[in-house]
Amino acid sequence: MVQFNLPDNSKLTDGDYYKSEKSNGNSKKFKIYRWSPDDGKNPRMDTYEVDLDDCGPMVLDAVMKIKSEIDTSLTFRRSCREGICGSCAMNIDGTNTLACTKAISDVKGDIKIYPLPHMPVIKDLVTNLKTLYKQLKSIKPWLMNKKQNANDTENIQSRNDREKLDGLYECILCACCSTSCPSYWWNSDKYLGPAVLLQSYRWLQDSRDEERKERLKELDDTFKVYRCHTIMNCTQACPKGLNPAKAIAGIKQMIAQQ
Amino acid sequence: MSAKNTWKLHRWSTILLLPLVAYLFIKIIHLSTLPYQLILSELSNLWGVGFILIFTVLGLIHMNTGVHEILDDYVHSDVVKRILNVIISIFFLLILIFVCLSLLLIFIG
Repeated sequence: MVQFNLPDNSKLTDGDYYKSEKSNGNSKKFKIYRWSPDDGKNPRMDTYEVDLDDCGPMVLDAVMKIKSEIDTSLTFRRSCREGICGSCAMNIDGTNTLACTKAISDVKGDIKIYPLPHMPVIKDLVTNLKTLYKQLKSIKPWLMNKKQNANDTENIQSRNDREKLDGLYECILCACCSTSCPSYWWNSDKYLGPAVLLQSYRWLQDSRDEERKERLKELDDTFKVYRCHTIMNCTQACPKGLNPAKAIAGIKQMIAQQ
Repeated sequence: MSAKNTWKLHRWSTILLLPLVAYLFIKIIHLSTLPYQLILSELSNLWGVGFILIFTVLGLIHMNTGVHEILDDYVHSDVVKRILNVIISIFFLLILIFVCLSLLLIFIG
């Protein structure tokens, strides 16, 4: 059965408070989820005061400032700092988003930062995305075209066919959508989730792909697609402004028309 | 039944039930103004019996597929799921028997 309560060792406790020494009044409190597998303690919420006059405008800037100047043990993923790599996906102010594209000024009051919800935590804000990558691999996210391989020639696509991929190819696989979906929370082992299904739809829509029938046959399963109940959290959460819910509806329509 | 067909069945039963539910509400309001004997005759004609039977069967199909969606979502143990399936099937069968008996009683008068 679904587990509605957190296990005892997952219950949050109050953590340490790091006061800003230089602040001249323009500071903000960042409450950040902390957990380490090494000390055997419960997760805690540490509070850091950050001087906004000496910090970049984005949440990631503040988190990096905390790591480099206040608490070097804070662990998180980050890379491009411009919304392209998807590494810094975390739950900020109650919404899954990218820390690098979320402005500090967009959040009123203290900023609470948690790891992506319902994912196994490796440390602090770093979650284990193994299942998601395994699911991505299962939908074969590559072009399957025998003709192209045989002739070794350019595979031309019409302008209209190319336009069908707009709003699909931009996905950066940050997992903000999948981890905001209650259906994915309950059945993440069997339901593919919005991120992977958006990728799947991207290949189903590709005019150059020849395995559409096979791909749809694979998806016609009680759990893989049909756990989506159009809750739309995915669309609301996507930091790239994509619409995974529409893609899932498209997959359902394609399966129904087969 | 395949996942695709179950999904289709659930959607089609929803679409078909929408006008039937609207008609049912109008009918209930209309029947509430009639005397008892007239209500019996309205229900026991072919259209009345047909409507009740179609509504019941469609309603049960819709409820059955809907409940299974909920079970698939929240119940992860196959054993518990199987037990609940049996209980739900018995419950729906009892509803169907109850409706058929009621219609028979109305028909007999």
